[in-house]
Parts: sequence; C-alpha cells; structure tokens
Amino acid sequence: MARVLGVDIPNEKRIEASLPYIYGIGWVTSRRILEQAGINPDTRTGELTDEQLTKITHVIGSEGIVIEGDLRRNLQTNLKRLQQINCYRGIRHRKGLPCRGQRTKTNGRSRRGGKRTVGVVRNPNAKKGKV
Amino acid sequence: MARSLKKGPFVNYKLLAKVDKQTEENNKKPIKTWSRNSLIIPDFVGHTFLVHNGKAFTSVYVTENMVGHKLGEFSPTRKFLGHGGQGKK
Repeated sequence: MARVLGVDIPNEKRIEASLPYIYGIGWVTSRRILEQAGINPDTRTGELTDEQLTKITHVIGSEGIVIEGDLRRNLQTNLKRLQQINCYRGIRHRKGLPCRGQRTKTNGRSRRGGKRTVGVVRNPNAKKGKV
Repeated sequence: MARSLKKGPFVNYKLLAKVDKQTEENNKKPIKTWSRNSLIIPDFVGHTFLVHNGKAFTSVYVTENMVGHKLGEFSPTRKFLGHGGQGKK
C-alpha cells in the first residue's frame, strides 16, 4: 500500500488505476499526472520508487489539482453561496430538486430519492355528487 | 453556448442608465424593472431592485455574492402550494 498525499492509500493495481482512488482524480487526470511525471501508467503501484511517488505529489501540486478535503470544502462553499443569496439554483438545492431545468413531472429520481406514490386524498365529508 | 466576451455582459441600457444616475446622486431608492435577463454587474452592489416575476415585483437587495447572476434568478416565477389533500381547499 503506497501513500500519496497523506491519507490516500491506493493498492496493488496499475498506478493509472490507483490514482483515481483519490477524491478529485479520475482517469483523465490520472493519465495527465503520469504523463507529466514521466511514469509508465502500467507500472504496479507497489513497484514505484519513493522518488516517483514524490514526483506524483509534486505534479498534483504544481498542476493545481484540487483534491480531497479542499475539493469537498470548495463544493460546500459554492452550495452555501447559492443558498445564501437566495437565487433560483439555491432554492432548488434547498428543496432537493433538480437545478438545471429538468422536468420533474417524471424522472429526476437521483435528486429526489426513491419513488413515493402521490395519490388523491378525498375529503371524507364529501358525499358522492356533492362537494 | 457562452456569450461572446467581445460584447461584454448584457445589461438593459435603460436599467444601467438608471443605476448610474442613482450612484451619482448617492440615492438608494428601489428600481422597478422588468429586465430579468440583465446580468448583475459590480456597479449594482448595494442597490435594491424590484424585479418583476410576471405578476408582482420582488424586492432584491444586491450583495457582492450575487455578481454574475441575472436579476431574474432572484425573483421566482412559480409558486408551489403543494398537491391537494385533506384540510386543503
């Protein structure tokens, strides 16, 4: 288990596949980092020398890639800003509804959670024919 | 597609004139406007706008955080009152 930038411990996979274990690094960023660092993406993470690992750390720093806690914090601040200024997107975030103009008559389940059936609730005092 | 940088931000010219005039006079009276698609530029900070939502005017006090948004984003056009049910008329 190698350690890159503190907490993250990618395992015995190819380094290209290990880096995406870090929050904020995907395949594309991973490849870019390795290219910059001049490391073969097919090397197993365990086979990397300490120098190469520090090299990766440096590249992440110099490329200005925001990862882990910092990235999470950035996202939180953005959300908070939107909600605090009371704009449309902020309101949608507060209500847990889609913010980008998607339909909500159907779909939008990832934002709105599992399916809940909404039925008509009749007024119990209402008799048939009279309301 | 994003707006061309050459043109700069869009602000209704009449609205901009009004804001400029107010800034000059140091007057902070709310400005009534229908121009929901005007971008909030740094000059607007501290002014109050009454933004039309199709029915009424919503009072919007512009703060620094709002720069770069459009006026209409702060004046919702729909009001959701919930679905029918008991206890509701």
